[in-house]
Parts: sequence; C-alpha cells; structure tokens
Amino acid sequence: MKQCSTETRGAWTAVVLGGEVDLSWSQQVRRAVLDALSASDSVAVDLSAVGYIDSSGIAALVEGFQTARGRGKSFVLLSPSDAVQAVLRLARLDKVFRIVDALEGAGA
Amino acid sequence: MNATAPGLEAASLEQRMLPLLAELSQQLALSLDLEQTLLQAVTRIAAFMEAEAAAVFLLEDDWLVCRASAGPVDVRGLKLPRGRGIVGRAVVQNACQMVRDAHADPDFAGNVDDRTGFVTRSVLCAPLSTAEGPIGALQVLNKQGGGLFDERDRDALRLLAAPTALALSGARMAEKLLEQTRIQRELTMARRLQRSLLPKRRRGGYPVLALNLPAREISGDFYDFFDLPDGRIAFALGDVAGKGLDAAFLMVRCASLLRWAGKEGLAPSDWLARVNDELGEAIAAGMFVCAVAGYYDPRSGEAVWANAGFPPVQRVDREGEVALFPAEGPPLGILPGLVFPEQRTGLAGASLYLYSDGVTDVRDDAGGTLGVEGVTEIVRGMSLLAPEPRLRALVRELRQLTVTDDTTLMLIEGPSGDVRRLLELSFPARPEELAGVRHRLSEALGRIGVDEALSRELVLAVDEAATNVIRHAYGGPCGASIELRLSLEDGELRFGLRDWAPCADPAKVQPRDLSDCRPGGLGVALIDAVMDAWQLAPARDGRGNLLTMRKRLGPPGEEP
Repeated sequence: MKQCSTETRGAWTAVVLGGEVDLSWSQQVRRAVLDALSASDSVAVDLSAVGYIDSSGIAALVEGFQTARGRGKSFVLLSPSDAVQAVLRLARLDKVFRIVDALEGAGA
Repeated sequence: MNATAPGLEAASLEQRMLPLLAELSQQLALSLDLEQTLLQAVTRIAAFMEAEAAAVFLLEDDWLVCRASAGPVDVRGLKLPRGRGIVGRAVVQNACQMVRDAHADPDFAGNVDDRTGFVTRSVLCAPLSTAEGPIGALQVLNKQGGGLFDERDRDALRLLAAPTALALSGARMAEKLLEQTRIQRELTMARRLQRSLLPKRRRGGYPVLALNLPAREISGDFYDFFDLPDGRIAFALGDVAGKGLDAAFLMVRCASLLRWAGKEGLAPSDWLARVNDELGEAIAAGMFVCAVAGYYDPRSGEAVWANAGFPPVQRVDREGEVALFPAEGPPLGILPGLVFPEQRTGLAGASLYLYSDGVTDVRDDAGGTLGVEGVTEIVRGMSLLAPEPRLRALVRELRQLTVTDDTTLMLIEGPSGDVRRLLELSFPARPEELAGVRHRLSEALGRIGVDEALSRELVLAVDEAATNVIRHAYGGPCGASIELRLSLEDGELRFGLRDWAPCADPAKVQPRDLSDCRPGGLGVALIDAVMDAWQLAPARDGRGNLLTMRKRLGPPGEEP
C-alpha cells in the first residue's frame, strides 16, 4: 500500500504519506515534497500513517528540509509514527527536523 | 555285642590319634609352606596307619595330581584322569574306599605299579571333603606286615582326612586371594601408567575432547592430542587388537610412536606410514593396531587425517546431517611399506566423531550391537548440545547399554557452535521486491523471539544493504539476483547478502558521518548504527560481493 497526496491545511501545504516508503517509490515522495515546496512557503509532511521508511525515503525528507532552509521556507514533519521516529533517531536526525504533533499553533 | 576288647583297643587308638590330629591340624593350619607341611603330614599318617606308603591327590582341572607322598617311591606329580583309579572313585563317590586286593579291583590303575615297581596289595582311600565337595583324596597303601586295613583304619583315615582337607582348601583360598590382590595391584599400577599417557582435559572451549572407558583395568585403546607450534592440533586414536597386558604394552609403544612422529607435523599419510614401519619391526605375530591420526586447524576449521583400519570417522553438522569416512588404509603393524590415504573435511558448523569399535560393539537389550548406524542415531539426537555435555550424554547413553570392549571417544568441534539457518531467499534486484523481503525477514526474526524494536532496526539495515546493491552494485534495477541468508550462530545473528555484480571496492563503501546532514550515504550509516559489525568482501568463488553483517542477541528481555 502506497499513499502520497498533497492537500491544503490552513496556511500549510501537507504532503500526506502512507504505507512503506522504500526505494520502489521514494523518488515519487521526493518529487511530491519538492513540488510542494515550489508551490508553498509552508510544507508539512504527514508521516502518521507510514509503517516503514528507509534511507531513500529519509533522503527525500532531508532534501526537502535543505531546500526549504535555502529558500527561507517552513518545513515540518507531522506526527511521525513510531516506526518513522525510530529510524530518525537511528540516523540522528530527530534533532535536525522540526517535528510537530499538530499544525494548529505551529508557526508557519 | 562284646564291646570290651575293641573298646579298649579303640580307646588306645583314639588316645594315639588325638595328639596326632591336634598336631596335624595346627601344623596344616599355620603352615607357610604347605607342600613341605603336607609331606611331613603324609609321612606321619603313613607311620600312624602302619602303611607302606601314603599320598595326597588333589583335583586340578580334570586331573588328580599327587602333591605329597611317603613310602619307597616318590610319586609326586603323578597324574590320573579325574575318576580313574581307586583314588578317582573315592573322589567321584565322595566316600571312603577300602580295597583288600587292588589287582582284583576293576578301577585299579595297575600301570602305575608297572612304572614305579611298587606292588600295591591293599588300598585305603578317603576323600578330602569340603563344603564345596571333594578336592582330592588321602590314600594309604599296603598295611605293614602283610595285614589288611580294617574298618577302624578306615575311620581313622577319614578323621585324618578332615584337617588335611580343611588346611588345603584354606590354603587354596588364601593363595587365590593373594594372587588376586597381587594382580589387582599390578593392574592398578598399569592403569595408572596408561592414564598418565593420555593428555589432560583442556578447558576454555578447546576444540578437542576425548575419553576412554576401559572394559578391564587396563586398556588396549588410547588417544592423544597436542598443539603444534603452527597452531594446528595433532590428534590420534588407536585400538590395539586383544586385551590384557600384551595389548596394554603394545598400546603404550604405539602411543609413544604416534606422538613422536606427530610432533614433526608430517602429513597424516606419512605419519601413519612411519609408525607402521617402526611398529612392524618389533610386533608379535598376529598383533596389530587400528589407528587414526591427523590434524585439526582451528583457524580454517579443517580436519585432515589418515585412517588405518579404525572405524569410520563421522562428521555430524548442526542439522543432524551425517557423513561417514571409512578407513582407507589397513591396520598398523601388519606389513611395512603400506599406504594410508589422506582424508579431509571442513568442520564449520559441524563436529567430527572418532571412536573405537568398543563403541559400535556396545550391546543393546536384545543383544545386538549398536553399529555405526546406532551411534549415528544417538549422536544426531544430540547435535544441539554444547560439546562437553554432548560427550557426557553420549557416554551416559552407552553406559545404559552393555559395554563389552574398551571404549574410546574423541570429539572435534568445528568453529561455529550453534548454527540455526533462519532464512534463505533469492530475489531479483528490483525495488518492488523489497517489501516482500522485509516481510519474510521480519517473520523469521519474530519466530526466534527478537523483540519488535530490534527487529525493525535489523529489517531496516538489511533493506538498506539490498537498496545499495540495487543502486550501486548493479547500477540500478535489473533481473540479476540478490541472495539473503540469515542464521543464528552462538547467540549471534548473521546476515549474508550476496550479489553477482562486479567486485565493489570496499574502501568506497563507508558510512558517512551522521552529523553531516545530507541525503546520500545514509544507508551505510544506518547499517553501521544497527549492526555490531559488518564487512564487504568479494564472494569466495570470485564472482560478486558478499556483505556479512552481525548482531549479537542479548538475553531475553534485555535491551541490546
């Protein structure tokens, strides 16, 4: 099961991911994140329904994070699942990304 | 009945007899030199009985042998078949024989007279009775003065036979006991000497274990093992044909020859050939030695040996798979110049069992022998035990059966102890295969109780490795294969990921510093963070690469 959709949530453009993010479609995730950053100043990647993410998926997120920073835009990870949090911790990226539980109150 | 006259005479006979009886009893009972005492006793009995001659015959196997005699002819050493002659009749019937005219008696062994020149007229013979039956007879011949023996003489002889029998049976028992004690002491010393030749048990996971259970006090079996300066371990086992002292001496000789030749690190075939030639020069005809000698290299996990008529060497792996290596050379000591072909096997995840035929000849309840198959069956059932307990359990099994021969066992334990293959799969190098691989891997880890958090990390690391193979080794998705193997070895998980791509340069596959936040190179960093160790090397057959990753599992419930 793969899920990758983009929707507007208030001031935020949310990329909503679901299923297992691996090499087989991480390029699609990367494209979606970069497209969202081209179209919006505030991008959130909703990771609550992601059961697995590998380094190619994480790489897409890192690229999004670096692009946003370069352009002075906001980039947050929204409600990452336990599985995603574990990988972020393992890659020592849990302190690099801005991670939020809800978009309400998260300064765009 | 007029009892006066005989009564008086009887009293006088008894009066004469009592001191003699007392004296004989004491002398015989206290005698240190029974033969000499017996001789004196027989002489006194002859005199007392007023006989021309007297003799003591003893039963020895199926013969009645004269052990003491008094009279004109010394008949000591005279042998009659058991049951022959008047003496024989006394023993067989366990009753006194009184023969007034010997030559008229159908049982009389007249040929003795022919040989000795003695003329036997009358015979009085009393069995030497004990609780276990007669052990011989006391015989007097020819009443002096030409008279005949009568009933009183018979009773007197019967009385005199009693202390003689008692002394003789006592002496025989004492002799037997003494002999047994002496043999026992000698055997204990021989056994101690033999034991001192066997190498001491080595602790701390030493790969060679051995033991010897002698069927008797001393053994015709031996084993030996010792370290060579180059790191190899030399080992030898032997079984000398026959049992007892002969075999034990040959065993000592053969064991020292094997050690002497083995110290030089000769190839096993040369090693046995040299011992065979040496042994042949001084071995008794009909004796030979079955032996195995070889080396185990703990670094390569390979054993190499030569087998001279010894039972098949058995290799048993952790899955219970058995391979037999029967002897390819004849026993040692039969002919010089014989050839002993070399045999070898790798012992990774396996053990080598060497045992003397005492093990295969063990009898089961039905009286059949265990055989190679029986031993194999027992050994297979124990493949999951650690080496020491396995050897102990094997001995316990054998002891429940009847051990009829010397039993010697050696166990050589291969490099990796407990290996459980958990997963083996092959898939095309395409990203869409990865979800299925992760699923299978996660299942395999779940089956052995790896907790979920660790399992998730391990699955991630393997997925990262496979991703790298697809992207970098194969340069993108393709139909070529990737092979994944997972095993549990001594509490450590081992992952092997194999590809058939051109050889990678291990130096280029390095984890990036995790603090360096950029998209590439993260996969190797994750593998590095999850696994205890990993290594990328060209595959052994020269094609492709093999990535090995290891993770030690902590005790249950403990966070690794």
